[in-house]
Amino acid sequence: MSTQESQANQFDMTRPLPVVQPWSEAFWEGAREGKLLLQHCKSCGAMIFYPRKFCPECWSAEIGWKEASGRATIYTFSTAYDMVEPRFWTDIPYTIAYVDLKEGPRMMTRIVECAPADIKIGMEVEVVFHKLDDKFFLPYFRPVAK
Amino acid sequence: MKSGKIAIIGVGEVPTRTMPERSRWDIIYDTCMEAVRDSGLTKSDIGAVISTSPQAQPQLTAELAFGKLPEELGFENCRDTCVVNAGGAGTSNCLRLAEQYINSGVAEAVLVHHVTVHSTIAVPDLIAFFATAGVDLQWEYPFGSTYNIIMGLMANRYMHESGCTPLEMASVVTALRSWASRDPNSIFYGKAVPSPEKVLESAMLNTPLHKRESNILADGGCAMVVVSAERARKMGKPAAYKLGESVRYFSATPMMRNFEKMVYGLRDTAKEAIAEAGITKEDVNIWNVYLAYPLAHPIMAEALEIAPFGQGGKYFLDGRMSFGGDIPWSTIGEAPGRGHTGSGVSSAVYVETARQLMGRAGERQVPNCSYVYQNTSGGSGFNNIATIWGREPK
Ligand SMILES: [Zn+2]
Repeated sequence: MSTQESQANQFDMTRPLPVVQPWSEAFWEGAREGKLLLQHCKSCGAMIFYPRKFCPECWSAEIGWKEASGRATIYTFSTAYDMVEPRFWTDIPYTIAYVDLKEGPRMMTRIVECAPADIKIGMEVEVVFHKLDDKFFLPYFRPVAK
Repeated sequence: MKSGKIAIIGVGEVPTRTMPERSRWDIIYDTCMEAVRDSGLTKSDIGAVISTSPQAQPQLTAELAFGKLPEELGFENCRDTCVVNAGGAGTSNCLRLAEQYINSGVAEAVLVHHVTVHSTIAVPDLIAFFATAGVDLQWEYPFGSTYNIIMGLMANRYMHESGCTPLEMASVVTALRSWASRDPNSIFYGKAVPSPEKVLESAMLNTPLHKRESNILADGGCAMVVVSAERARKMGKPAAYKLGESVRYFSATPMMRNFEKMVYGLRDTAKEAIAEAGITKEDVNIWNVYLAYPLAHPIMAEALEIAPFGQGGKYFLDGRMSFGGDIPWSTIGEAPGRGHTGSGVSSAVYVETARQLMGRAGERQVPNCSYVYQNTSGGSGFNNIATIWGREPK
């Protein structure tokens, strides 16, 4: 048995899927269609991420969805080379970042289509959806072409 | 906030090591009995037992939560027991509950303890626990985030804003290990202290975190006996008196954490706890900081207004927080020096605070130690609980 096979036997090597709440279904439906959706509170105007059952600002139930521009800037990032879960081994090195969306909210994401050494805080990035399976497309970000 | 009126009068501890040969209950026996004997009380005096929740050990958690410890150790006058879980802030909450038990008359003496044995947990279970604790399972985990990465994200931003260099960051490890090397209960006891350059030579786990800037999972346990400040004073033994406390909640999900709000929270909780204790910052003899990662220490040094903004790392590199430096800091070496026992480090730091105030910290003893700042923080940093402890009651 190869090392990889024995590891695959010991560890769960499947990619984890988002644990969805009823009120976040629409976000993932949007992601499937290539849209980055943010909740919008019709009572107080708050742009909300991550999605909530009620507006966290004013507790209103009147929440709709707005498509975000998909543009953001990198607030901070960290590139992983080791000590990640076995299920992410094949992705190494990969870069996790917090990005600030033009609309305000901050998200965790991955920065792709860019060498780790070229990733900078403050870099302009845009959303690109990464398919996990037929249901889930994760919003990753890549540098905006100059 | 009105706190205080309790004191730690006895402590017990086993060295933090990798010791799969010791069962969890084996460690519970030794630490709890040592703490009771050390307090000068007897087992008949223990009126309640509170456990800091052992993370990633569901069977033990259930046994403790459902009341096994007082029965096992024969605390015949115990009136109640429970497990308290706020991650690394757990022990602070155990002490708060002990205070409530004492003030409301449930118990006159309360035993607070913790045990963790990581070395006998199956590796896949350990990975599964630490991979998913403290991150959001919908908005963070699927991207491949880890505790180390969360710390890397914070450290990279801090270094960007402050100009703190990798060498300065690495010097925090040197400082913490300088204390740990002199602490018989720390996993790095007696071990060579790595220079900042040596720390940077270790492999990069994720930017900017090197292997020597992360933690070693280990096994350990400790216990404390808590009574009212009045009773402690009457007993006339060396004790650690709780004098002040303040707390802030930040966020559970790391991406939702406002870094500025967090820094203000670290600053304000310290100021409020110090004010409640009726002392000034200059009176504090030890900053027993608990953050579970070295990379966050320069941020804390600046938030506490010990180092000016942008100078936190330099203070560590200059050796000011190291053993023998002028700012005694995390005197068991915190999680990076002590060894990571889950929530257990939050218990171990209180035991150290008590030891220092009792004048029993051996080679690490800070002379004329009268006041100690002690913080804890839970999860990936969801809150900060700042406390001030003194060797005399208010
Ligand atoms: Zn609202």
